[in-house]
Amino acid sequence: QPPRTCDDYWSEFRHCKSLWNRFHNYYAHGTSPSCGQWKEDYYSCREWEKNPGPETKESLQQSERNREAEQRKFTPVWDLRRDPPRDWHMPLHQGKSPDSQS
Amino acid sequence: MDQTEQQEEDYGYNLFPERNSGKFQKGSIAESLFTFNHKCQVMLQFAMETSKLTVLSCLFSAVYKDRHFSCEDCDGTVSGGFDATSSQIVLCQNNIHQQSHMNRVVTHELIHAFDHCRAHVDWFNNFKHLACSEIRAANLSGDCSFHNEVSRFNFGLKKHHQECVRGRALRSILAVRKVSREEAEKVVDEVFDTCFNDHAPFGRIPHDKKDAKFAYRDFENRDRYSANL
Repeated sequence: QPPRTCDDYWSEFRHCKSLWNRFHNYYAHGTSPSCGQWKEDYYSCREWEKNPGPETKESLQQSERNREAEQRKFTPVWDLRRDPPRDWHMPLHQGKSPDSQS
Repeated sequence: MDQTEQQEEDYGYNLFPERNSGKFQKGSIAESLFTFNHKCQVMLQFAMETSKLTVLSCLFSAVYKDRHFSCEDCDGTVSGGFDATSSQIVLCQNNIHQQSHMNRVVTHELIHAFDHCRAHVDWFNNFKHLACSEIRAANLSGDCSFHNEVSRFNFGLKKHHQECVRGRALRSILAVRKVSREEAEKVVDEVFDTCFNDHAPFGRIPHDKKDAKFAYRDFENRDRYSANL
């Protein structure tokens, strides 16, 4: 099945084009948002549902991969953990100051 | 022998006096019902139920109100903080008086907690790490929304959000570390592009409820999404 429901693509497109989103984009980035890809993805999604073949899937999947790559094109300043910190759930030290060693 | 006075780094703990007193006992019933502490607890409960926060707390579904949050009196005008040594978010009950402010502070601190949970953040020794988390928190929490900036009489439009994020990140760093303004500015500049564009866990800058709703929808949909790429 497509990565998102086709309705999700359409609602993202509508949201992207909305006045509020255009305002927020100008406020944050100084430009108009680029919404065309969401619309294309919606049509690709509909096509996928009607004719689920490798070409129709590939176009939508590639678009999503590009979207993900956009989010990841910076080099993080820190290393990611594999697990949360060991002391995340440990009980608080009653009566001790926060920087004491135990 | 001359002894030069060195400014000792206290990592901002002086702003949160109750953290050092070793006082974790609960007060009397009267104290708990009629004080800022009670109001703080009630507002925190409401804040946990708003959509932006649901994304964050559900995402790592291991944030417990009683373990990871603490309502305390703080110094000055600080609204809250994240204590990495105890993995606790501190909410300044004497400085937060409106629900909307509470929502924003909780979101801001949850972003720090999220960073602490998902990455090896060296809060105390690496300024780049600290700056990065502050940039992200100012960017994604609503601190720099148009509305909030206008209420601070900061009138700006084109790309003003970024100016605000820079400024607030700088302020936060200067509040908790004994470092010069120039040094802090330099670090913020170095990491700004990377950290401003790191929108985890939202996937976008959540400017309003619709953005938050869509971010939450993406979170709920994550299994289907990754299985069909």
